[in-house]
Amino acid sequence: MTTTIGLEIHVQLATRTKMFCGCSTAFEDEPNTHVCPVCLGLPGALPTLNAEAVRLATRIATALGCTVHEVSEFSRKNYFYPDLPKSYQITQFDRPIATGGSVPIVTERGTRSVRLTRAHIEEDAGKSMHAADITLGGETLVDFNRCGMPLIEIVTEPDMQSGDEAYEFLHNLRRLVRWLGVSSGDMEKGAMRCDVNVSVSPDPAKRGTKVEIKNLNSFRSVKRAIDYEEQRQAQCLADGTPVLTETRHFDEVQGTTTAMRSKEASNDYRYFPEPDLPLLQLDPTELESLRTHMPELPWEMQSRFERDLGLLPYDAALITEERSTAEFFQQTVALCDNPKKVASYMGTEVAKLLNERGKTLTETQLTPTTLAGLLTMVEHNAISNTASKDVLPLLMDTGTTPMEAVRSLGLEQVSDTSAIEGFAREVIAENATQVEQFRGGKEAVLGFLVGQLMKKSKCKANPKLTGEILRTLLKS
Amino acid sequence: MNSGLPRTLEQYRRAVRAHELSAEEYLDETRRLIERDEPQVRAFLHLRLDAAHSDAQAADPTSPLAGAPIAIKDNIMMAGERCTCGSRILEHYVAPYSATVVQSLLAAGAVVPGKTNCDEFAMGSSTENSAFFPTHNPADLIRVPGGSSGGSTAAVAAGFALGAIGSDTGGSVRQPAAFCGVVGFKPTYGRVSRYGLVAFGSSLDCIGPIARSVRDTAIMMNVMAVHDPKDATSVRRPHVDFEASLQPTLAGRRVGIIRELQGLDVQPEIAAAMEAACEAALKSGASLVDVSLPHILSALPAYYIIAPAECSANLGRFDGVRYGLHEGGRDMTETYSRTRNAGFGTEVKRRILIGAFVLSAGYYDAYYKKASSVRQLITDELDAALESADVLLTPTTPTTAFRIGAVTDPLEMYKADVFTIPANLAGVPAVSFPAGKDAAGLPIGLQLMGPRWSDAELLSSANVLFTALGGES
Amino acid sequence: MATIIDKVTLEHVASLARLEITPEEEEPLLGDLERILGHVAQLSSVDTSAIVSKRPAMTELRPDDPREGLTREEGLGGAPAMRDGFVVVRNVMGGEDE
Repeated sequence: MTTTIGLEIHVQLATRTKMFCGCSTAFEDEPNTHVCPVCLGLPGALPTLNAEAVRLATRIATALGCTVHEVSEFSRKNYFYPDLPKSYQITQFDRPIATGGSVPIVTERGTRSVRLTRAHIEEDAGKSMHAADITLGGETLVDFNRCGMPLIEIVTEPDMQSGDEAYEFLHNLRRLVRWLGVSSGDMEKGAMRCDVNVSVSPDPAKRGTKVEIKNLNSFRSVKRAIDYEEQRQAQCLADGTPVLTETRHFDEVQGTTTAMRSKEASNDYRYFPEPDLPLLQLDPTELESLRTHMPELPWEMQSRFERDLGLLPYDAALITEERSTAEFFQQTVALCDNPKKVASYMGTEVAKLLNERGKTLTETQLTPTTLAGLLTMVEHNAISNTASKDVLPLLMDTGTTPMEAVRSLGLEQVSDTSAIEGFAREVIAENATQVEQFRGGKEAVLGFLVGQLMKKSKCKANPKLTGEILRTLLKS
Repeated sequence: MNSGLPRTLEQYRRAVRAHELSAEEYLDETRRLIERDEPQVRAFLHLRLDAAHSDAQAADPTSPLAGAPIAIKDNIMMAGERCTCGSRILEHYVAPYSATVVQSLLAAGAVVPGKTNCDEFAMGSSTENSAFFPTHNPADLIRVPGGSSGGSTAAVAAGFALGAIGSDTGGSVRQPAAFCGVVGFKPTYGRVSRYGLVAFGSSLDCIGPIARSVRDTAIMMNVMAVHDPKDATSVRRPHVDFEASLQPTLAGRRVGIIRELQGLDVQPEIAAAMEAACEAALKSGASLVDVSLPHILSALPAYYIIAPAECSANLGRFDGVRYGLHEGGRDMTETYSRTRNAGFGTEVKRRILIGAFVLSAGYYDAYYKKASSVRQLITDELDAALESADVLLTPTTPTTAFRIGAVTDPLEMYKADVFTIPANLAGVPAVSFPAGKDAAGLPIGLQLMGPRWSDAELLSSANVLFTALGGES
Repeated sequence: MATIIDKVTLEHVASLARLEITPEEEEPLLGDLERILGHVAQLSSVDTSAIVSKRPAMTELRPDDPREGLTREEGLGGAPAMRDGFVVVRNVMGGEDE
């Protein structure tokens, strides 16, 4: 069985105002408070296109390697729904802002490229809450705050073959939109939404019947829905029951898909060019400048880190998940020149504390300078690696320097040979049995003696020096 | 009307500035006239004479319009006033904001006596399609005032206002202006903001001034022609003083006569008025040129595809969910159709259906797409003709005003727009001015079209012919 | 002459436009539409093969600065039904486009 998957992703562009009016896009609990004549579809109101939405759309399309068209056109998509005030959605149809492009994904089949069909910009509809969502007795509640939010819809070619691949694609796309500041990519808040087309065929050369799945509110739901749908369609094929071309609804709780009631009349959206908006013309020099000033993309940086800095794939992926993290990493490396150490420390100790605090790196007091300082102290044996774990929380929470933190915690590592020698003589005197054993050839006992010394020094003794000094004294 | 009172906006303004007349006094005169004649004419859907009286008292005599009464077609939003578009579906709707053009007029000292009657959503040529009542032509009360801005042109003709604004999608300012014996101007598409005009055919709709003289429309254009960032189709243009651009002669101007329109069946008095206008043009220093627009007769069918297509989408918002009429049903589909069935009149429904048809799968290419191409073809031809001529002269209408109830066939009604529609398809400016009367004493209107953005020059040419044919300078 | 619009097509178009056609309206409406569409169909004889659309482009876009909108009361004061700030409509779950 071969599964073929295509995605349609709506990404909300991170603008301050809506696509066609000056209403705020701020997340607002109070329903119907970010509204105006334009987004409410009042008689006589006209749309005006948000320049920033165009800029962000152009930016993401360029990063995706799309052909960004100098001239594109808006169209009206006509259908009736209570959360669509004008009874048409302003979108792009015949002439979208971008076509082509691709996103690389790492899969079991190796690194592959998922091709994009097109990307177009459009306005969002309002939000409907149905009886299924809350107890309403056959009513729907409509909030128009979301109506007119700026979206870019990205449509892929059917280039994915499993739920994992779709998950990986979405993850990479989300990483990119956040990386470029184009969108928050927050699926829970609806800033990224995804519809899936799945078809299963026994013949790898032929496509099966395309089934669309809606109501996917998280990456995990996308994967679960695909996994379920793959099984369901395979079962249909095995049983000889036909797979219908239909739209199915994903049930989060059951983890299943169910057919949505088919419409009485087939969709006929009667698209035609939006007469209220002349053509959108982009400046070719600005497009060129956008291309040349495009920052390194997350997956490009990830492979460079693996290739040039020797980072482990896991660390490289983690470091390039967020642009702020990658920048933090690069600035830290610039100060202490030990990329592998920085990466692994960020991936373990830093990540652990961030997780505990529920914060992102930029929300803490830790800076590349303080982190680099801390790691340099470890490297120069000014403190032990273990002690550094006590210092890190202070750097994060108070913004103090590593030196001050180490001093205030009394964690300076003792590398003074005479001090260590003093501890060593005490340890040798107090552990006659173990000393005998070592001198009798049982090398392993040295570890015990080092441990005893560390205890005496309250872990401040430099472990390497301790070992050397003990060995010398024992052999003398 | 009292002969001592100013006949035109220009005379009014002069009198007010000379302290011979106050805005309040003039409004009181207007009010008397409205109270006497409005029951027969029925130009207004809503009057606001008390509010207008206060506005007139507060009017600044030095402002551009100096407190002159200006009526507003009821498909243009004025905050706090009802805006019904002549439709049941908006019967009780109160505008929560003002159209840009209304803001400009008010800021310039206009006083609004009321909102004028019109064909429902501006769809019609007689104002008989108003859901509320027909308006009567002040020149002959048993006749239509034309449409769709018939309330506005009747109000100006009857002396209920010195000026009015209407909307012109296929001739809806010019045709009723011709029928009522007043001047009606459709500016270049993009010259006057559409923000706040309830859309019918968005790519065709223009708001234009209606007045008793060409000069008055120029005075109004000085106020109305403002670039509006709220309308993406509004175009920023260099400042022009429309009134100061009025020239005394047509010296050096080339007046084009469209060959393909010569064979059309036109009322004899209108043909005679055309000849008189040509003579007047020659006398004023113009030359006459013969121009050819091979596809101009395809304008009508192209229009009756494009305008319904756009209207079918534009009127989708009247769904009973957020405002306007609401007729509940068992589910939303039923609620929508009940509301829209109860709210829309026959002509509106007919056009919505035509629009939905020409855009629907399987018909789009043959109808909508074809019409768009023909529109471009006609535009190209008009642009070319307007290089060999500075203005094109045509009748505004094939006949003078017809009797109320006389035209019942929709297609016959559509065909009366044959002269006015090309300017809307091409987006060029066009003006209708009175040019005498027919044997029955009914006003005759002639039309001049000019190149895009030549609005001021076009009004200047129209002013020369208008005054030469007996109009007030 | 072949009909352009028949009863079935009319009903389909009416449902797209959310208009109900009563049985009494149907016959005269079909007649009117047939004649109007027949008239506009004459465009098929116009050769438009060389026509290039010259739609203009937008000259300026709107800066991304928030502007005061309407209050809920100003914007939705005329809605037939409101509850807790929401517009209330009949349940539409499942049957419609989205």
